[in-house]
This record gives sequence, C-alpha cells and structure tokens, in this order.
Amino acid sequence: MTGPQGAVAATFFDGQTAQRHAVRIAPTSDGLGLAVLFDDAARGALVWPFDRIRALDGQADRASLTLTLRAETGDEAPRDPARLIVTDAAAVDWFHRTRPALFHRDVRPGTFRKVAIWLSGAVAATLLMLFVILPGLANYLAAHIPVEQEVAFGRAVMAQVEYLFGDGEKGLTCSGAEGQAALDLLVARLTEGQAIPYALQVRVFDHAMPNAFAAPGGQIVVFRGLLDDAKSPEEVAGVLGHEIGHAVRRDPTRLALRAAGSAGILSVVLGDVSGGTLAGIAGEHLMRAAYTREAESAADDYALMLLADAGVSSEPLAAFFDRIATLTDAMPEYLSSHPLSAGRAERIRTGALYGADRHILDEAEWRALRGICG
Amino acid sequence: MTTGPLTKVFYTGQRGALFGLAFKTALLTVLTLGIYRFWAKTRIRRYVWSSVSIDGDRLEYTGTGLEKFLGFLVAVVILAIYLGIVQLLLFYFGLHFVAEPETGEEALMQAAVIYITLLAVLPLMLFATYRARRYILARTRLRGIRFGMDAAAWGYVWRAILHYLLTAVTLGILLPRQTYWLEKYKTDRSYYGDARFEQGGRWTGLYPAMIHLLIAVLILGVGIAVLALTEDPARAVPLAALGYGWGAFGWVFYAVRGRRYLDSHKMLDGRVGFDARPRVGRVIAIYLLGSLAVGLAGGAVFAVASGATAMAVGPMAGPGGTGPVGIVIVALLYLGAFSVFGALVLAFITQPLIAHFCETLSILDAGALADVRQRAYDKGGDAEGFADALDIGGAI
Repeated sequence: MTGPQGAVAATFFDGQTAQRHAVRIAPTSDGLGLAVLFDDAARGALVWPFDRIRALDGQADRASLTLTLRAETGDEAPRDPARLIVTDAAAVDWFHRTRPALFHRDVRPGTFRKVAIWLSGAVAATLLMLFVILPGLANYLAAHIPVEQEVAFGRAVMAQVEYLFGDGEKGLTCSGAEGQAALDLLVARLTEGQAIPYALQVRVFDHAMPNAFAAPGGQIVVFRGLLDDAKSPEEVAGVLGHEIGHAVRRDPTRLALRAAGSAGILSVVLGDVSGGTLAGIAGEHLMRAAYTREAESAADDYALMLLADAGVSSEPLAAFFDRIATLTDAMPEYLSSHPLSAGRAERIRTGALYGADRHILDEAEWRALRGICG
Repeated sequence: MTTGPLTKVFYTGQRGALFGLAFKTALLTVLTLGIYRFWAKTRIRRYVWSSVSIDGDRLEYTGTGLEKFLGFLVAVVILAIYLGIVQLLLFYFGLHFVAEPETGEEALMQAAVIYITLLAVLPLMLFATYRARRYILARTRLRGIRFGMDAAAWGYVWRAILHYLLTAVTLGILLPRQTYWLEKYKTDRSYYGDARFEQGGRWTGLYPAMIHLLIAVLILGVGIAVLALTEDPARAVPLAALGYGWGAFGWVFYAVRGRRYLDSHKMLDGRVGFDARPRVGRVIAIYLLGSLAVGLAGGAVFAVASGATAMAVGPMAGPGGTGPVGIVIVALLYLGAFSVFGALVLAFITQPLIAHFCETLSILDAGALADVRQRAYDKGGDAEGFADALDIGGAI
C-alpha cells in the first residue's frame, strides 16, 4: 500500500445499514489518512485519519483486520459504528507493521475514578449489611420473638437433630431416670434465684463427642463424651452454665436469624468464580467464627456469674478447658468459632471466686448422672 | 418457512486457540481473586463470536469487561440488601408458623418450609436470565448493525413462573407449551437492526420431540407396577435403571429436536427464514467424547497438582499444621487446576456444540438482510451483573 495505484479491495459497512459495500482503500497523498473509494460511483470517497483508525482486538481470524474509527460516541466503547474489513494479506501486514496505534485501547477520561467510587461503594454497602444491619436486625427480632414461638422452633430443631444423627427408631436421648433426676437437680442448684426466661430442658445425647450445645428456646444438650471426660460434677456445671448463658442471651436464635440473612450474600459476592463454592464455604465459616467468638466470651462470663452465685468454684471449669486445649487449639483462633481454650482457662481463673467450694452433686448423684446412658 | 437461496453458517474457532485463551484468562482470574473474570468472559466471547461466519461476514462482540464489572457491583449491592433483609424477615415470620413436630419426617418438612424462602431468588434468576440475553444481543453486531431486545424482563418473570406452575401441575404434559411460549416471548422481542424476529409454528409442534421422555416415563411406570405386583426389587431395579437412562437420552433429544423445530420456524422481518438441523447423535457424541477428553486431561492435571501440593506443602508441615502459607498454596493450586478444567470443558465440549449448532444452521434469502437499518444503542442495564452474582450462565 504505497499509493493510490496500489489500492486494494476491501469491504465497507457504513454503520447505518447492513448493506455491504465493495471499496478500494489506499493512503491519501499526504500520508495522513486512508482513502476509502466506493466501487459504486454514486457514493463519494471517504477519508479515515490514520491517528483515529483502530482495529478490533482478539478476533479469531488472524488473517484479516476489522477496522473502525475512534469516535466520541455514547456507546459501550468510543468507536464509530462503521466497519472496514481488510482481507488482503499485504495490506493487513502493512497495517500491523506501520500503524502502532491500531490496537490502542482509548479509555475514557474519568473511568478509573468511576470504578473506584463504585467499588468502594459496593464493598462498603456489603460490609455494612453483613456486620451492622443484619446483626442489628437479628438482635432486634430475636429480642421480640414470642418465647413460645422460640420454644416451638427449638423443639423443631431438636427433632431434626435427633432424626438426622439418631439411629433410626432409637432416639439419641439417654433415658436413665435417676441420671435425668441428677441432671435436673444440678441445673436447679446452678440456676437457683436466677431470672431465666425459659423452662430449661437439659438432656444427654448418647454420643462420644466431648461437647455440648444450646438450641433456641432453652433446649440444651450435653453429649455423653463430655460426662465421660469430666473429672467432677463441677466441670459439667461450668459447661452447662456456659450453655445456659447462650440460652439466656438468645444466642441460638440470633445466630439462626443472622445466618438466614447472610447465607446468600457471600455466594452473590463471589458470583461465577470457578471453585467459588469452596471459597464461599470457607468465607461463611470465617464470618460465623467472628460472630460467635464474641458470643462465646459473653457466655463464659455468664457461666462465671452462675458458678459464683451458686457458690461453686470455677477452677474445675478452667481445668476442663486446659485439658481440651490440647485437642481444640490445633486450629488458629481466627479459624475457630470459639476463643482458644487455653486463653479461656486463664480468664476463668482470673475471675474465680476464692473460697467457693460447694459440691454441686454428691457422689451418688454424680454416679447416677454418669450412668444416664446405661 | 420461505424458500429462497440458502446461506450456510460456518464456525472457524480452533480448540487449541480457545483453550489457550481460556486457560490464560482463568489464571489471571485466580491471580486477581476473581475480578478478571469479567474481562476473561469478554475476551472469550470476542473469540467465539468472531469465529461465526455468516455469508462471509463475521459476528462481532462489542461488550466490555469494565461495564460487566460495574454492572456486577450494582447487582451485588441490590442483591445484598434484598437477600439479606428479605431472607431474614421471611425466616423470622416463618418461625411464627412452626408447630411442635410429631415425627422426624415432619421436623424435616418444617425445616424445608422455613428454608423454602430461598424461592425468593427464583424471580430474580428469571429476571437475570432475560436481562443477560438482552445484554448479549445488545453487544452483538453483524455487518456493523446491532442486535437488540426489548426491555421486558419482568413480563418474562411472571409468565415463566406461571408456565412452570402449569407444567408442574400437569406432571410435565404441558412442557412443550412452556418451552414454546417462553421462546416466543423472547424471540418476538429480539431484533437485528430495525428488523424484528418472530417465532412461528405451534406449541403442539414440539410434542414429537418429547417422544423419548414419554417412553422413559412408561418404562419407569412399568418398573413401579412390577415392584408393586411381584414385590421383588431384583426385577424392578433393571427397569428403573433403563428408565433413568432413557430419560437422560430423552432430555437431550427434546432439547436438540426442540431447538430444531423452534429455530426453523423463526423469521426475521417476515422475509429471512432459518433452517436448523442439529443432530441428536452428534450432540451426544460431542458430550461423550468431550467428557472423555476432559476427564483424561483433567485427571492428569489434578494428579500433577496434588503431587505439586504435596511437594510444596509437605516439608512445611510441622506439629501445628502447615500454617496460612500452606493453606494459600493449596488453595491456589486447587483453583489453578479448576482453571484448567474449565478451559478444557470450554474447548472440548462447549465450543464443538456451538460449532455444530452453527454449521447445521442455514439462512434462507439472506440477501434481504441488506435492507436492515441500524438500531439505537442500548445501555444494556446491569451488563449481566445479576446473572453473574446469581451464578447463572457459566463461561459464555
């Protein structure tokens, strides 16, 4: 493409109709533009200035070029709707070699500002939602739900748990009558004189895991494994005090409400990322862990208060946390939904009441409780 | 259908080129924590669109990664508020209807009822599906002329929900009615320049495509009858397996034959017709061979990635686990392997399917296209932001 004599054939679309125009193209005599000469003599020639000519990037057909003009349109990109298709190999090569601005991107001014504003706005709105609005709303609603509804919900949750983890017909709940009596006695002594909004229902599940949990509406479950591992009834009392703390503070209900609100948000933020499901589960876990660590500390404080009021030493509870620290503290604190056990033991020791030495159950009652699962 | 000169559609994309592009952009996506995916999708579409050749002219994809990213940010804010507050409130009011469950099954049913609030997302997904299609058309050009679609997503949402309900209530008998009318709704609102597409034909015309689904249901019915009469599972199980297998085949058959009927009865501007002849056997072959190739290559990649993980992370493992560095390395390798997998699926299954549907499509009387005039620019709304946030669609 050295002069008008060397004009090469190309195809032109004017961006107004789908009509295909056969044209010849050649540089203008001053070398500043590309002349587009229509085979149809009725149409006048066009000149495209070289400094505004751009080619479409990332096209499958490497042997041809689709040219367009940089133009300040309101379109998705600053490009003129007209297209010039060049298939002549020498001409395509000439464009690639001599026109460095061919694949220039032409970002509109103010683009980065716009992105920064929208990005920070979206991040702020999502964080506000996850960490302020949803927890606030959950706390408000949890405080306003009628107690009988919460109790019914808690029973429903327990029925699900027993159905899912139980062994078919045989329920999970241990039914030793003497053991249950001892357990109820322990709870009664621990909560004597306290204002508790629910009729607490404490039961033992026949499972080897050394754990306990609180469901909504004053439903509390201790696993047999915890009774097996405990060295004294005071240790069990400490753990129960912690779970009662959750119940009184309505933590299970608040967390269920929060989870209902935040469940979908994380997967929305991650969108279509491949492997996003796994990242979503991990993120959900981290978020919940942050939520609950705070609730756990508050429940520990409540347990200390109960133990102190009942005249029971908190030293056994601290000892219990020390023992399970070797099991649970393998996970770093930011991954765990509970504060590190070693740290908890320390806090509990500092808050301990000296001279408190009441035995919450006698030997026979303690034996009955440990034998509740037969 | 009109008669006239036939123009064939060609697809020229190459497996290797697309795999390279998809893999490269997927790695960039991993390295940018997912943000590059909007540009990745844009680049892949540019390649695929420009591989489609109609009468010598190639399709052009003009969407940009930036507008997708901004659309996604808007969608995230709206969805975070909607999902967060609506789900929480629905859950809260759901609690008021909880009664004491009598049995374990009842307890599970209640849990399902409480969490069924997730259905609140269905209208949004339908909305996003329509808007995504409108955005894609608005960013597709042929001969410099834009395609386009009317802004009518909410009309699609309630129609789709009513059709789904009707199909469910009639146990699937009215499925062709749903397929046809929803396709017609979308087609009749689609344009090339100033020329409107129109879906012709009748919904009952889709029944022949359903034949194998019907056979599958019959086989399953016989299986249930055999079980009820003989009470011998050994006789019913093979029938059930056959029924399920036939059902899977029936779905592909319905999808491909349905497309053939629907596309062959579309018209543009009442003048340009289409002749679509995709083949069920070819589609199944693409799926089977593609899955085999992806499985073999993907399996090898996963094996190498696992080995590399063990070598990289193993020496770091101490008594307290591997620490955050180990977790990051494992996550990166895992996501890298996923990138390879996604790129393989795109190059070995998705692209051959697109190629097959293109190459079995002919255009009748394509000469009439020359009279089509340009249409106005469409901002494209959220630029698929809702579809991306709700995880609909996949790579392209």
